[in-house]
Amino acid sequence: MTTTPTSSPAGARWGLKTKVILSMLLVGIIPLVVGLGMAFWQGSQEIREISGESFEALATEAARKLDLLVVEEISHTARIAHDPTIIRELERRRDASRDPKRSTSALADLEQRWTERDPAAIESLTENTLSALLHEYYAGVYSPPGQLLPQVVRASTKMLFLTDVQGVLVATMTDHPAFRHNDTPWWQGAFNKAVGKLYIEDIRFDDRVNTYVFTISLPIMDSLRYEAVGVLHHVIDAKEFFSPSTHAIRFGKTGHVMLIDSSGIVISCPILPTGVPLSDRNLTPLVTPQHHGWVEASSDGHGGQSTSVIGFAPLPETSRATNGSIDNGSWHTFVWQSSDELFAPIQHLLTWVMVFGAVAIMLLVSLGYVAAGRIVTPVRQLQQAAQAIGRGELQTPIQIHTGDELEDLAREFTRMNAQLKAAFAGLTDQVKLKTQEVQVLQQSTDQILDAVPTPILLIDAHHVVRYINQATREAFAIQEPLSNASLFSILSLDQDVQKQLQAEFQMNGNTAATMPDIERQTVPRDPLQPHTDHEPAGHRSELTIGSRIYHYQWFRLPTKLGEEDSIGLVLRDITDESRLQDKLVQAEKMGSLGVLTAGIGHELNNPLFGIIGLGEILQDEQDLEHMRSCARDIVAHGRRMATIIRDFTGVTDREASDTPVSVPVEEVLDKALATAQTSVDMKDIVIHKTYAGNTPVSVLPDQLRQAFVNLLTNAAHAMKGTGTLTLSTVVSNHTVTTTIADSGPGISKQHLTKVFDPFFTTKEQGEGSGLGLTVARRIVRKFGGDIRIECVEDRGAACHVMLPINTSTSSTGDPWTTSASRSKPQPSHSS
Amino acid sequence: MDYLRFAFQATTVAFLLGGFWTVAALHAAKESPATISISPEKVADYIHAILEADRTFYTSHIVNRLQEKGILASTEHWEQDNTLPLPAQFLQHSGRIVAESGRGIRYRLIGFSPIYQRNAPATEFERKALDVLRRQPDRPVTGIVSSGKKRYFQAIYSDRAVSSACVTCHNSHPLSPKQDFKLDDVMGGIAITIPLE
Repeated sequence: MTTTPTSSPAGARWGLKTKVILSMLLVGIIPLVVGLGMAFWQGSQEIREISGESFEALATEAARKLDLLVVEEISHTARIAHDPTIIRELERRRDASRDPKRSTSALADLEQRWTERDPAAIESLTENTLSALLHEYYAGVYSPPGQLLPQVVRASTKMLFLTDVQGVLVATMTDHPAFRHNDTPWWQGAFNKAVGKLYIEDIRFDDRVNTYVFTISLPIMDSLRYEAVGVLHHVIDAKEFFSPSTHAIRFGKTGHVMLIDSSGIVISCPILPTGVPLSDRNLTPLVTPQHHGWVEASSDGHGGQSTSVIGFAPLPETSRATNGSIDNGSWHTFVWQSSDELFAPIQHLLTWVMVFGAVAIMLLVSLGYVAAGRIVTPVRQLQQAAQAIGRGELQTPIQIHTGDELEDLAREFTRMNAQLKAAFAGLTDQVKLKTQEVQVLQQSTDQILDAVPTPILLIDAHHVVRYINQATREAFAIQEPLSNASLFSILSLDQDVQKQLQAEFQMNGNTAATMPDIERQTVPRDPLQPHTDHEPAGHRSELTIGSRIYHYQWFRLPTKLGEEDSIGLVLRDITDESRLQDKLVQAEKMGSLGVLTAGIGHELNNPLFGIIGLGEILQDEQDLEHMRSCARDIVAHGRRMATIIRDFTGVTDREASDTPVSVPVEEVLDKALATAQTSVDMKDIVIHKTYAGNTPVSVLPDQLRQAFVNLLTNAAHAMKGTGTLTLSTVVSNHTVTTTIADSGPGISKQHLTKVFDPFFTTKEQGEGSGLGLTVARRIVRKFGGDIRIECVEDRGAACHVMLPINTSTSSTGDPWTTSASRSKPQPSHSS
Repeated sequence: MDYLRFAFQATTVAFLLGGFWTVAALHAAKESPATISISPEKVADYIHAILEADRTFYTSHIVNRLQEKGILASTEHWEQDNTLPLPAQFLQHSGRIVAESGRGIRYRLIGFSPIYQRNAPATEFERKALDVLRRQPDRPVTGIVSSGKKRYFQAIYSDRAVSSACVTCHNSHPLSPKQDFKLDDVMGGIAITIPLE
């Protein structure tokens, strides 16, 4: 298998191999970087802390050492201050100064000469007994054996002189000092109102000795240690004094100890010159508290701005006497090493770890490449095998021998391929079998369709005829096989009919004329019924092709999914049927007209003959009274004729109003009964009434009464004068059913279907017009109801009149409309 | 801390008042010797009583209590360490304050084996007095001493190691020449000096 680019169709997509290598890199690099960062941070912290603590310890130790150095120098100086000769001389000067007889001119004279540097005056102060003593002390004459003044201390002493109780110079080793000192801070601090106190003056530049100095001033107490009688002043070159101690302490390339005062002025430093302030003023308060410690500052005080670790400690004894008290100043050691040097080990470590990290990453990449190759190659083989299976081309088993899940997967693929092949082979056989079945089915369908005598055509959505059966070929004389022939090229039709068929075709064969028109034509049309029905304007599903008439019918033929449905067209030759039908209709019409004419003639004849007879009587009649009687009879006959004509035409427009009113149907029925009783002999008829109550219906009362009169008259006639007439009303579900049942002979089955036809009558000629039931049904239908006649032969007929109840008034709580009243009708009898 | 400061200040003020009263009484006695006469021995005795009382109170009720409860220690470098002064320092510093007040009366501690040489006996009188006190610590050594033309009355009272703080400090200090002191040992004396003019 070769690694083809089919595995990554999109150029931007990352392949499995890249992902595996990247994953391994991420898994390796993230912990490496995090670990490196943490190690660096932790290492820095620890170095900082360890260095800080070491620096603090060093600063403390250095402070103690420098403090001892100063204290030792103080004690050396103090030895001079305790000299009895000096004390005696200064006591004498004190006593002399208090002598009121003492003249001050000699002192002023000496001061002037000293200022003018008169050699005699200088000699008097530098060569006197006390100055000789100072020289001797300085030379170490009075030091205990083996405790000579160190050379360094001797060299650093710039001035050493004595003042008396008034601050006046008494003796000096050198000729530098001023004559009076009682106004200087050191003198006042050391004399301290004659109490005396050690006073160490902060570093300052001294013009007389031209260097930075600090001074130690010691009070010279009287022999009793009661009060100060003078001050011994020792001026020391700070750099020379401290540098042997501070400069010796060096560590690394930059680490050192320095001494500063509380205002940040350098007293001694191997790097900075004495007397300069620290480079960063903000650093001073951090490193000059009255306790030892270390601090991580943002600058190093030596001009560097890098983060620095600084140890510091105060000089306890020295600080106590600095400028008179600890509140006025203090001295501190300052231990510092350059950050670059301090953090060099961790930087070094970081560099090495980074080198090792880079090696590790390279190793990771190489290993990742190898591992990814081992994983990805079989996966690609599987992918290509799957593609081959998809194309059905895989013939040989997949050769993967990794000894893991991938090998199992390859084996499964091979097995799946074999199973798929077997399954496909079975499927092919089944498809062949089914195809044969379908072909057989198609042939049989064709034969069935060819055997049908009715022409059948199948048309697709584009009016192209797809199939015609044998009957069609014969009917339209089609010889050649169909080739995209249009429907209208087969059926030769008028333009109008073509358009209509196309319209129906567009509606997917939903013809408007699916109703069987022929059946409708079999019934003679009611000539009295006005043309108000929605009868289709003469449209029939009929086509006239050539000399033949065909009834056609569309049907839809479902097809395969995604294709448009085919439409089928069935044509039925109704040429003969249609002609027969027309003849029948014609005959029926003629029959009806005959009956009508006979009926009208007969009805009108009787009164007409009566009128004619009465007219003849009137011609010869003299008696006026008789004439009037005859005239009344003529009028009565005339009215009767008018009534007959009205009955025929059905004119009942004499209603006062043609707006329906709500009346109880029982009331209308009772009135109709009364009317009927006036025209028909009902003396021997027993009348049963079972009413449901006063059921309101919305009708024209006169017309409804007319309908009821017709029905009652029919019933009375059927019973021929004797029998039982049952009248009942039943309420059910918004409808009131009025039943008029007689006990006459009933209606025979063959008549039952025709009783509503106009002019149909079972009565003798002249007895009935045959319009009673027709008119009654028209009236009832007008009010939204209907009439149904039930008949059991020899047991009478029942006429049911269904009318809708007028709910708008019935809801007012008429007790008769309740269901209880309906289930228990109230019978009532009347003769 | 405030309590401590208050206690210390109160003690100092009490001592000052006592000292002031004593000095005032002395001056009054000097101005009218005819009517009221009081010997310098008595004055020194009064002052010594006050000094003893003040230091004992400071030692037992301030230093010891705070130290036992671990609240605050007393150390030599109390300014830097932010701690209490040692009882000996209490006496020395209050003596300095009295001296700086300019009244003339002074007192200080002198020792047989002082840590700092400035606290060694300064005169022959003081040295001899300490020798006497070593043998007879119960009575003060008094005398008239002079410095030049000035004359002073001096009384030296023996001073014992009143608390363990005294013993511990002297026995452990690197500059201390003698390191085997015990509690209640006579460690030196309190020298009270009163000018006689």
